Amino acid sequence: MSNKDTLQNCFLPDFCNLRMVFAVVILAQLFAFVLALMTITSADGVGWKYMSMVSLFVQWCALGSCASLCYARRYLCQVATLWAAVLSYLVILLVVAVLSEIAFHLVYFELALGAKHAQFILRNVVISALITGPILRYFYVQQAWERNVKAEAQSRLQALQARIRPHFLFNSMNTIASLIRTQPAQAETAIEDLADLFRVSLRETQQFHTLADEIELCDRYLEIEKLRLGDRLNIKYDIDSLPKDALIPPILLQPLVENAIYHGIETLAEGGTIRVSGEQKKKTLHIRIENPCLAQRPTASTGHHMAQENIRERLLAMYDKRAALHIEPYSDRYVIEIVLPYRNKLDEDSDR
Amino acid sequence: MKILIVDDEQPARVRMRRLVEELNVANAIHEASTGMEALRMCEKTSPDVVLLDIRMPGMTGLELARHLANLEEAPAIIFTTAYDEYALAAFETHAVDYLLKPIRQEKLAKALTAAKKLNRVQLQQIQQDIHAKAQHAAATGGQRSHISARVGAELRLVPIDDVRYFLAEDKYVTVQYTQGQLLIEDPLKSLAREFADRFLRAHRNALVALRYIAALECDNHGHCRIRIKGTDELIDVSRRHLPFVRKILKQL
Repeated sequence: MSNKDTLQNCFLPDFCNLRMVFAVVILAQLFAFVLALMTITSADGVGWKYMSMVSLFVQWCALGSCASLCYARRYLCQVATLWAAVLSYLVILLVVAVLSEIAFHLVYFELALGAKHAQFILRNVVISALITGPILRYFYVQQAWERNVKAEAQSRLQALQARIRPHFLFNSMNTIASLIRTQPAQAETAIEDLADLFRVSLRETQQFHTLADEIELCDRYLEIEKLRLGDRLNIKYDIDSLPKDALIPPILLQPLVENAIYHGIETLAEGGTIRVSGEQKKKTLHIRIENPCLAQRPTASTGHHMAQENIRERLLAMYDKRAALHIEPYSDRYVIEIVLPYRNKLDEDSDR
Repeated sequence: MKILIVDDEQPARVRMRRLVEELNVANAIHEASTGMEALRMCEKTSPDVVLLDIRMPGMTGLELARHLANLEEAPAIIFTTAYDEYALAAFETHAVDYLLKPIRQEKLAKALTAAKKLNRVQLQQIQQDIHAKAQHAAATGGQRSHISARVGAELRLVPIDDVRYFLAEDKYVTVQYTQGQLLIEDPLKSLAREFADRFLRAHRNALVALRYIAALECDNHGHCRIRIKGTDELIDVSRRHLPFVRKILKQL
């Protein structure tokens, strides 16, 4: 992580920032008013003077802390958040203690209200400890919240990218460009397939579609890839025992078939066969996708994981622990199995 | 101009051929669907320009480019790719050009014109750049499937799985493989980095293939040597590398 990133992800806000300094000054002043009002008992004239002294002192402490944190931030942001919080807490208490010491010698009579030296300093440190704690806590919560929002946006983007692999898009475009003159009819079909595929990909709202729909989607996808890869790509379905009316999340299998091509078939000069098989065991469906791949070479690329993780997360969100995704990597083939509960339209309706 | 089109996808080759034909700049166009086929084709037809797809099964375009750089009359290389950030980053300012599929004819024309204008020296410079960049790329992930060297007029390719060990001597590195030996110019250091998961450094100037290690033999003086599978050859292990060699062999 670069230095800039650490600073950006730091829970401590930037105290060198002018707006931040202004906010601190205002808050400190409000606090000074509260302190002063608490001690005024009668309108004996001491009030105004006392209030201005308290204000002055509180502003010292606030701006002193501000300056120290502004300076220390770049170091504090490099350690773990808990340590950073503890250290900034200590920095502020230290600043208050030092300023109290100075104030005690300079303006004792106006401020201390008869307190002894140690008492005065201790009192100020305790007050600042009580005030600073919740403020730091607020910064921490604020930063955690911001991080969450960012992570969410990031994962949405990744989900979208996982659905549309740029490689596939541009390769398909290239294939179509090639076919347009020599085999216009095939080019036309390819465009229709591509449109269907993207229509489903870009649809946000639909929660479920049937297994038959998903198989259809895979077929559309495979048709396009077949144009490009020719004889190298073979596909074998063994799914007769699966109930075609089963409701599954859309685009559940297609990315896995796409992975099977991208990491399997495409890397083999002679190509191979992708097998999609499945069975129903009581109320669960088991769907397997198997593809040959290059022997060994443990350098599994990250692309695999993005699509897989995306699907795993969706399964978790929709079925909790009742669904699962298993991976069985062999030396020369890759098998992925999805297990999910069988539900059809009737179950769905009766639940409502 | 003689042009060789290398792409594993037939429709991509068809389109590229048509684009080139329409430009009327080539007097011979050949095609190859794999890296190996392309190499043989280059030796046979010595093309001026190779239009080379990056993502191919077996030998990738990047690897092929490295082997082509060893040819006596190395062709100018124009990379083609559908979408490959990594390759684009590596070749941003190198090769003659890279073209994004679907390729525009104007861009292809421009790239071919640029390639035609290159003289020998410039071409060599570019080839060296590709070599250096590809070595860098190899260090950060991709590794070659073959080691190549020119023997006379012919380019000899040795599958990396057949290599028993690399031995550095003076300026060259000797490749000992199942069918004989070969001299290459790659520095041992970059080979060690590229094939870190398959080869073990036994000595300052020796890299031994893990799959060809038969045994580690030590004498009474603590001097150890690695016995190579299938031969009676022994490779010295230096004191400095011994602890690491032992550690790796234990894990095997």
